[in-house]
Amino acid sequence: MAYKPFDVDAVIDAMAPLVQLEITEEQRPGVRQNLKTAAKMAALVEQVKLPDDTEPAPVYRP
Amino acid sequence: MTPTATAVATAEAVREGRTTARVVVEAALKRIDRHNKALGAFTDVLADRALKQADTVDASVKAGTAGPLAGVPFAAKNLFDIAGIVTRAGSKLNRGNAPAAADATLVTRLEAAGAVLVGACNMDEYAYGFVGENAHDGPSCNPHDITRMTGGSSAGPAAAVAAGLVPLSLGSDTNGSIRVPASFCGLFGLKPTYGRLSRAGAYPFVASLDHVGPLARSVRDLALAYDVMQVFDEADPAQTKRPNEPVMSRLKHSIPGIRIAMADGYFAGEGLARDAVVHVAKALDGSRTVSIPDAHAARAAAFLITMAEGAALHLDRLRSAAEGFDPDVRDRLLAGTMLPGAWITRAQKLRRYFRETVLKLFETLDAILVPSTPMTAPLLGQKTGMFGGVEMPLRPHIGIYTQPFSFIGLPVVSVPVWLSDQPLPIGVQIIAPPWREDIALRIAQQLEAQGVVSAPVAKAFIEG
Repeated sequence: MAYKPFDVDAVIDAMAPLVQLEITEEQRPGVRQNLKTAAKMAALVEQVKLPDDTEPAPVYRP
Repeated sequence: MTPTATAVATAEAVREGRTTARVVVEAALKRIDRHNKALGAFTDVLADRALKQADTVDASVKAGTAGPLAGVPFAAKNLFDIAGIVTRAGSKLNRGNAPAAADATLVTRLEAAGAVLVGACNMDEYAYGFVGENAHDGPSCNPHDITRMTGGSSAGPAAAVAAGLVPLSLGSDTNGSIRVPASFCGLFGLKPTYGRLSRAGAYPFVASLDHVGPLARSVRDLALAYDVMQVFDEADPAQTKRPNEPVMSRLKHSIPGIRIAMADGYFAGEGLARDAVVHVAKALDGSRTVSIPDAHAARAAAFLITMAEGAALHLDRLRSAAEGFDPDVRDRLLAGTMLPGAWITRAQKLRRYFRETVLKLFETLDAILVPSTPMTAPLLGQKTGMFGGVEMPLRPHIGIYTQPFSFIGLPVVSVPVWLSDQPLPIGVQIIAPPWREDIALRIAQQLEAQGVVSAPVAKAFIEG
């Protein structure tokens, strides 16, 4: 998946009540920028095609 | 015995009765008192506790039971619990917490070996940063040029060692927070294998990625501290049950026919970062290169896991006391509360996938070399830098070479390179397979013995 621009404010306005947060006007520009960066990072992660049987590694043992 | 001696030399002198722990610790406290204002290294100086421990160590010398780090002053990043003081973890909000009831495991281990904790050190708020500019306690300044960053988040621990206030300090490394300040401040730093050293009593950040480890000015100091800190500790659920694997006695054994490669592509670096890797590789006869696939994605996955786990940790505080955070940290955490679960699970799956990719490379290699940072220490307050000829935000770029390896928990030693005619150091990461800290440390030791890498006390702090 390539990164696709999205309506960041709509995401903030939808998600903030779900996680019971109020995003102030002071916070919004920073949150907006960080969410955009996160979406770009997610696109990079998704560029790697993982086999279905790949296990996650939450408690990781090298 | 000078106040800027290594930990090994200090302990030898104390054990042999050429000096005492009290004399060493008093000298360290005096240097901290003189220089800390300029450096912003310490947030808490623990003179009473340190002098008491020094007397205990001196009694052990008389009794013939002194430990291997007898009388060595050390500092700990202020996210390590220290009995009787509040663990601030670089924050303002945590200052209302109760004082820690007990010392963190690593502090206990070092003191059991005779070392003496002299204070707690400044850091990026909640360890979420690479610059060492704390919004509440002020910045830590780079002893090699106090107008520059130490790097972070183990900022104060690096400043304290580079200025010769102590020979040894404890840091933590989730995405590069030991290796970045080691690079900017010209130190040796060890991020051990994930699960090797106990994180118990260290304030968490990202449980999936948090590591703890030492910073020092010599490889032997790093190895000795690493050895005494190994212990199985049920209080850290991620800890390995592997037996201790001490390195110090094997440090001088060279590795016959060692197979080393420089990572290319994503990790090739430019300018001084590239020159530093070539400088190290040449000394090791390592002209080979290796490609590490999916490094971009690995770094991105570490970034997402960090945001999400950090946000989960601080969610209640974001709801009730958002104004108490450093605004930069706060906005990253707020955004982190809004990431889809599928992204995070995918990132955790990539972690296992990338681990397999890199472990395969180690079938034909003993170690991989990559830069620790893309640049030498930036100026304090600097917001952008030139990358590939383009001006880009500085902060997210600092950790691009460290994040992919903490992501999969590999042991890494960052070694300090001083290129000729350069006023500032830059680090090179020696990356080894899981549980092979000995390989990374033995290579580092060989480089140090050859004079290829070194960690001198910053010139401005050598006298007195």
